[in-house]
Amino acid sequence: MKILFLFIFLFHISHVNADEIYNLLKIPNLEIYKLKNDNNIRYLSAKGNFKIGPNKNITCDKVNLDNLNAKFPIIEKNLNKYNSDFLKKIRLKYIVLCQNLFISEINTGGIPNNKNRTLILDINFNQKYFERMIHHEIFHMIHNTHIKYFDEDKFSSLNQTSFNYAECSTCSNRLNLDLYEKTHGFLTEYSKSIPSEDMAEIFSFLMTDKEIIKDIISTDKILNKKVNFIKSNLAKIDKNIL
Amino acid sequence: MIKTIKASKSEKVLFIFLISLSIFAFSSFFLLKNKCLFVEKNNLNTLEFIEPNNIAVMNIECGNVIIELYPDVSPKAVERFKILIEKKMYDGSAFYKVSENTFVQAGDIEYGNINNLDYSKIGSGESGLGLLKSELSDDFKFTVGSVGFARSAEFNTEDSEFFITLKEIPIYQGEYTPIGKVIRGLDILTKIKTGNKAIYVLRPDYINTFRMFNSN
Repeated sequence: MKILFLFIFLFHISHVNADEIYNLLKIPNLEIYKLKNDNNIRYLSAKGNFKIGPNKNITCDKVNLDNLNAKFPIIEKNLNKYNSDFLKKIRLKYIVLCQNLFISEINTGGIPNNKNRTLILDINFNQKYFERMIHHEIFHMIHNTHIKYFDEDKFSSLNQTSFNYAECSTCSNRLNLDLYEKTHGFLTEYSKSIPSEDMAEIFSFLMTDKEIIKDIISTDKILNKKVNFIKSNLAKIDKNIL
Repeated sequence: MIKTIKASKSEKVLFIFLISLSIFAFSSFFLLKNKCLFVEKNNLNTLEFIEPNNIAVMNIECGNVIIELYPDVSPKAVERFKILIEKKMYDGSAFYKVSENTFVQAGDIEYGNINNLDYSKIGSGESGLGLLKSELSDDFKFTVGSVGFARSAEFNTEDSEFFITLKEIPIYQGEYTPIGKVIRGLDILTKIKTGNKAIYVLRPDYINTFRMFNSN
């Protein structure tokens, strides 16, 4: 009987904002920001703070509309680089825009979720890396949907044999996102964290600074192989992305 | 000797006012409690349709909700919907998910029947007829009264659960398989019990009967 009362009590207090967007994406406190776009992507913004995830370990704050209006053209410009067919293949349809995104208390620029076809973006993420971050996160969606094309062992074997990646992306202090002056196979310090982050970093540069990459790979043989690995496998999904 | 004191005119008026006020309050208690009081019931004997084969009638507490089905838009989904109706599988199905003025959802055959509600599993039940492929339409707009098949996070998981929108929901366009539209009885749907801000409704309202218009 006590359990029944407890159940009924929990049932009444577990208030979730059961609106139409929550019903679709399982993220509360969202509203439509821009719905119609050429590549069918749909932009939603946080009208209130939200906590999601199995342990509510993903948190993000409501957007300041002026802030979003100022940054939206950059976001849209970068996402317009992808056509609707490609976005369908990588299961991305919804961009959730919010501020101060954290996962397990670690600040992050974006969180991809292929299952719900959603990418959450922190519009307050360091503006220096903001555009690159968008493509970095999109690569994770590409990777998640096309694991067989981006085999991590194959990719890792392109490095010098003496090099080892960290155990996970956040369990090392290799977090800097600045481009190395001397690359030696890696574009940034964060590239050295794990293979998928290394691939995502290369992809993000290819999408934003193609010319820089062209220069670098003319002298960096390892990076040249890595870039070719990314390019050739991406071409299997869509020949026009890079 | 006891003197009788006659009530003044104003005292009489006050007395009559108090009596009428108490009668009004007493009757209001019963009248206002009836949520269906000012809702049109939609008497089927007075209704005629051009394509009665595609008209379904959902009877709930406040009256009949008339739904026109769109087999041209989603043939497989409408076929499934008709089978479920004809087999009377929706009878007793609870509106367990209701968002006020937004949508109502029912149709969990396995765990969502009012006689056999299982709150721990509701929303995951099956009809036994198998899953359907999503029939998405980029042209179908989810305006007020649109009926669509519900699904899990994945496409091609439609079975028996359906929802009816109580407002225009543009974000659902191309996301859910449309089945039809409510052509009468929208205000009946707005009387369905909500869960306040909770996602699920405790002691929910339910479908009395769901029939094709022709079979009535």
